[in-house]
Amino acid sequence: MKQTWKIAKWEITRNLTNKQFIIGLLLTPLIFIVFAGLPIILEKVNQPSQVTYLVVDQIGVLPVLDSLVPEYIVLEAEVTEEAAQAKLQDKKAFAYIVIPENFIETGTARLVYNELNFEVNKLIETGLTSILQQKRLQLTDLDPNQLSYLTAQASLQSQAMEKAKVPGFEQIIVSLVFLLFIFMLIFSSGTMLMMSAVQERRDRMAEVVLSSIIPTDLMQGKILGHFILGLIQLIFWISLSLPAVVFLTDFPIWTALQETNLLLLGFFGIFGYLIFAALFVGMGATMEDLQSAGNTQGFVIMLPMLSMLFIGPVVGNPHGVVSKFASYFPFTSPIIMVVRTLMTTVPTWQILLSAAILILTTLLIAKMAAKIFRVGMLMHGKNATPKEIIKWLRYKDV
Amino acid sequence: MDNCLEVKQIYKSYGNKPIVKNISFSAPAGQILGLLGPNGAGKTTTLRMIMGITAPDQGEIIFKTADGQNNTIPRHLVGYLPEERGLYKEAKVLQILMFLAGLKNLDKATAKQRALHWLEKFDLQNYAYAKVEQLSKGMAQKVQFIASIIHEPKFIVLDEPFSGLDPVNQELFKNEIRALAACGSVILLSSHQMNIVEELCDRIFLIHQGEEVVFGTLNEIKQQYGNYRVFLDTAQNITGLAELAVVAAVEQIQAEKWVIDLKEQVTPEQFLAVLPKEIKIEALSIIRPSLHDIFVRIAKGGLEDETNMEDR
Repeated sequence: MKQTWKIAKWEITRNLTNKQFIIGLLLTPLIFIVFAGLPIILEKVNQPSQVTYLVVDQIGVLPVLDSLVPEYIVLEAEVTEEAAQAKLQDKKAFAYIVIPENFIETGTARLVYNELNFEVNKLIETGLTSILQQKRLQLTDLDPNQLSYLTAQASLQSQAMEKAKVPGFEQIIVSLVFLLFIFMLIFSSGTMLMMSAVQERRDRMAEVVLSSIIPTDLMQGKILGHFILGLIQLIFWISLSLPAVVFLTDFPIWTALQETNLLLLGFFGIFGYLIFAALFVGMGATMEDLQSAGNTQGFVIMLPMLSMLFIGPVVGNPHGVVSKFASYFPFTSPIIMVVRTLMTTVPTWQILLSAAILILTTLLIAKMAAKIFRVGMLMHGKNATPKEIIKWLRYKDV
Repeated sequence: MDNCLEVKQIYKSYGNKPIVKNISFSAPAGQILGLLGPNGAGKTTTLRMIMGITAPDQGEIIFKTADGQNNTIPRHLVGYLPEERGLYKEAKVLQILMFLAGLKNLDKATAKQRALHWLEKFDLQNYAYAKVEQLSKGMAQKVQFIASIIHEPKFIVLDEPFSGLDPVNQELFKNEIRALAACGSVILLSSHQMNIVEELCDRIFLIHQGEEVVFGTLNEIKQQYGNYRVFLDTAQNITGLAELAVVAAVEQIQAEKWVIDLKEQVTPEQFLAVLPKEIKIEALSIIRPSLHDIFVRIAKGGLEDETNMEDR
């Protein structure tokens, strides 16, 4: 354990003093802010500019219609269609609408356009529909109270059967943020871990280091070191964002944290990292560099993404076969089991079964990774083929 | 008890392919043992087994020290300079040396003090805080050498320590290796530079196709493998000498320059006694073949054997 810790400490200090790591640490929240802020900015920029429509209103509904469409649609009254046509030809308007005398009976108005704008047309159509309905209802001699009674909208009030067990909105937010963290941990630390194994081979250091410590210590040290580095990253980012959440929003973070099942999140988070860490470090030991990763290696790198495929079906039907499978399958269970507990009440035995499968698979993968690692680390100059990797796994002791 | 490394009947195979076949040797303190063999002979596997990086299928490796006898490798007492060696490119020289010394259980203060001492000795004192990528190849090799001996190991394994070094630095390394041996360390050296091996090693273990070919001092090996060779300068045609019972072969290498290989066990005196008086000798020298010649002969012989195997 002492040697494992020495390697972990080396990995940590080496990265913490590395410019790339520090830049990544500072840049990631910045990128996050940019990506979160970008949609808002884009929406602002994409604010539709003013469009002018002429209206030949033969039944006197223009003021009502004008109040029903957004401000950027300017509706101008025009007395005759000919005048409207002339203005359209001079490009003084985008289009004109004729609301004929028989509109209430036929429900049809005409639009002649220079430029077709589906969004504006849809909005005008909705406005006209509303006018049409009001006018037709008025013809039935109902009084205004009855009218509003008839046209009232329905509302759906939802209430959970067992209040305590189904997570509230706040808990869902906390858990989703936690899932995001697990994912970032797996991806950023996992990739760095793999890079570190590749680098050990590339820099021809493996043999020197392995004359001082056993391969398992080297592997464990790397996994531990990059786990701690990942936590340092997360803690840094959380300490940046937590004050922002507390001071800038009224999100009840402390109550939400108290009500969230942190034990469950913690367990699946740590094992979610460990299973992929073992896989990645083993893979790193088979590669000469990341660019030349073969199909098998590429597949392993993409494996954490598998959870994404299952999130849709799981949200749609949390008790379905797909959901159950994905919450037991160890490469998706760290994410999917957490998602399932957010959607529904998952029986305790199912959570325990999933946890047991995850622990056993992690141990198995770690054992296999250790075998691959101890041979792979001493190979130089080429990527290992799947056939070779299988051969290494069969060696009793190297 | 003095330090001593004993290798007993070690055997290693990968899959069904035997790499090292039951070899044994011992290396006592204060001596430099040369491990020689052509490429693919099983040297690196043997060294890796000694270093505990891979385990032998059979046999044992014993490390004897003043504290007793170890059947497992005392990792903090061994120093290793592998053939495939490098340094973390982005790290600083002193940082790497202290990290590697730390793995050998050296405390920080001692590690730093020794690292600086060695850097100064190798004229690298200005590079302690430089990144490895700023070093030249020879400088990096010096740092690797320091890393393998900084913890004052009792057992030192050096795989091709001289490759890529200029003559000045070769001399520097040779002196340091001799000094380490004089301090009572066991030194195992593998190299393809036969002249250096001849100069430096007290005993030599020659391995070919995973098996021991010969193990002994340089003289013992030359006696066993080295038929005398005669270099004779004369204007006369002396091909007829091949008829002599003591001569194995006669070859003209240049105009007026001849090489005569004597048969096994034939001494120079025996040859001179039967050398015809009518030959007008311009110059004559009789020498044992160099280690290089013996090595090439054994390696080539091995290759012939392999070809024969395939033919069959």
